Amino acid sequence: MAAQHPATAPGTGRSLARSRPRYGEAIIKALLLAAALVSIATTVGIIYSLVEPTIEFFQAVSIGQFFGSTNWGPLIKPATFGVWPIVVATLEITLIAIIVAVPLGLAAAIYLSEYAKPGVRKFFKPVLEILAGVPTVVFGYFALSFLTPLLKDIFPFLNLEAKNALSAGLLVGIMIIPIVASLSEDSMAAVPNGLREGSFALGASKMLTSIRVVVPAAFSGIVAAIILAVSRAAGETMIVAVAGGFKSIFTFDPTNEMATMAAFIAQAGAGDLSTGSIPYKTIFAVGSLLFIITFVMNWFSARMVQKYREVYD
Amino acid sequence: MTEIMPNITVRGPEAPRNIEALDPVFTVSNLSVFYGDYEAVRGVDLTIGNREITAMIGPSGCGKSTVLRCFNRMNDLIPGARAAGSIMYHGEDLYGDHVDPIEVRRRIGMVFQKPNPFPKSIYDNIAYGPRVNGMKGKMDDLVEQALTQAALWDEVKDKLKQNALSLSGGQQQRLCIARAIAVRPEVILMDEPCSALDPIATTKIEDLMQELSRDYTIVIVTHNMQQAARVSDRTAFFTAEVDEQSVRHGRLVEFDETSRIFTNPSDKRTEDYITGRFG
Repeated sequence: MAAQHPATAPGTGRSLARSRPRYGEAIIKALLLAAALVSIATTVGIIYSLVEPTIEFFQAVSIGQFFGSTNWGPLIKPATFGVWPIVVATLEITLIAIIVAVPLGLAAAIYLSEYAKPGVRKFFKPVLEILAGVPTVVFGYFALSFLTPLLKDIFPFLNLEAKNALSAGLLVGIMIIPIVASLSEDSMAAVPNGLREGSFALGASKMLTSIRVVVPAAFSGIVAAIILAVSRAAGETMIVAVAGGFKSIFTFDPTNEMATMAAFIAQAGAGDLSTGSIPYKTIFAVGSLLFIITFVMNWFSARMVQKYREVYD
Repeated sequence: MTEIMPNITVRGPEAPRNIEALDPVFTVSNLSVFYGDYEAVRGVDLTIGNREITAMIGPSGCGKSTVLRCFNRMNDLIPGARAAGSIMYHGEDLYGDHVDPIEVRRRIGMVFQKPNPFPKSIYDNIAYGPRVNGMKGKMDDLVEQALTQAALWDEVKDKLKQNALSLSGGQQQRLCIARAIAVRPEVILMDEPCSALDPIATTKIEDLMQELSRDYTIVIVTHNMQQAARVSDRTAFFTAEVDEQSVRHGRLVEFDETSRIFTNPSDKRTEDYITGRFG
């Protein structure tokens, strides 16, 4: 059969075969693939560079010491490796940040998507996104030199330390509001207008339509926004280093100075630790743990989204 | 008169209805609708009779949907939209200062061109309206009643917890009708309810409309002339006209009993349209 293909199409006398090779297509495809591979390769590289020192760390320090104790002081003598104080500090600051950012971010998103006139939205959304562009060290000093003194004046009974988890957590929360608000607004704006009209046509108010139709329909996008915000909060470094401090005492009280995992990594990395020493390897062990925590949170939330999302169209 | 339109059957003697005595639900006088400065519809006079099916037909851009969306003040949701003239609803000015558009929409339901069930369960779709309106009574009964009235109960009674979007297009549209009925409206507005459906689903919706017209006043916008002829008691024919400043406005050309519109229209433009010479 193959031999019988006519060399030219009947009628026109011109063949339908490709008249000249298209090298450009192949080059573009290779370039695009390379671009995609860069981020994958980076991730693999990060994991690889974390794994080796982490394994070496656990050859020197037992897992029991790491997870079985609440004394954290790998940089002082005698060194202690109980990781819980910095884990608790990380989770607590993340929790405070989420408590701030989710209601405010969602409220801002509902306002922008459902209530604001187009002109207002056009003005507000970029302004909101500017907040995301503020260097986090600025937030850190804002918390240290403005928010903490303010909170001390308003709530003297809290006995806030000069550096404390509360101020740091509040500012991390403010830092991630634009992430929650902007991404949630995107997914609410993508909800088909027909659903809103369907709700209004049944005599629902704007508020009920927003809360009972638009937010549930945009739920998967909203959860994705919150996940991203949580990951950013858990890994945030400068705010917690400046306003939260480096002291690692096992406590749940956010009025205390508390070092988070990221703050510890910044502090230890900034010091002159000799490569290959145990304190140096501690950085990687803590980094691996932080990586695993955010990874598990992302994975868990992705499962949640799969399960509860409301699909339209 | 069948020689004008050999292929169209008018809602005929098998369903004779006394439509001489028009009991007005809506009385529209000199209605104009503006989007910003643009006058989309100009000077419409129309009366919608109680428990009748009124069809609004006409070519695209003639303003029939715009007029329909005035009846439940849906146009209020479009920034810059404004109505002039008057629409009286049982003698009450629909656009009066005291009127709450939310109450208007609760009493005057609407079904849209594209089925728009909420991405929730079948049950929750029906229960949504009664819930947001704080209706009393057993919700299960309400849901069953609405689905039965919309001729959907038998098909969905075993899967009420399933997502409404798992239904076929025709079932989704009947669900939307059931959802509208569940809040016990006085009028149902339908904006091209069958244009996204296949012929079989369309037949079901048309049969359903006949059923519902015993209890409800129905106004339907349709592109499909045969549909208007089959289901409606009265027909309003709209068209778009270009004025002295070469701006297009939707105008009502003729409003009459459906049998007259389709057999003996008094306006040449109506005849041209329904015989397919225009549009």
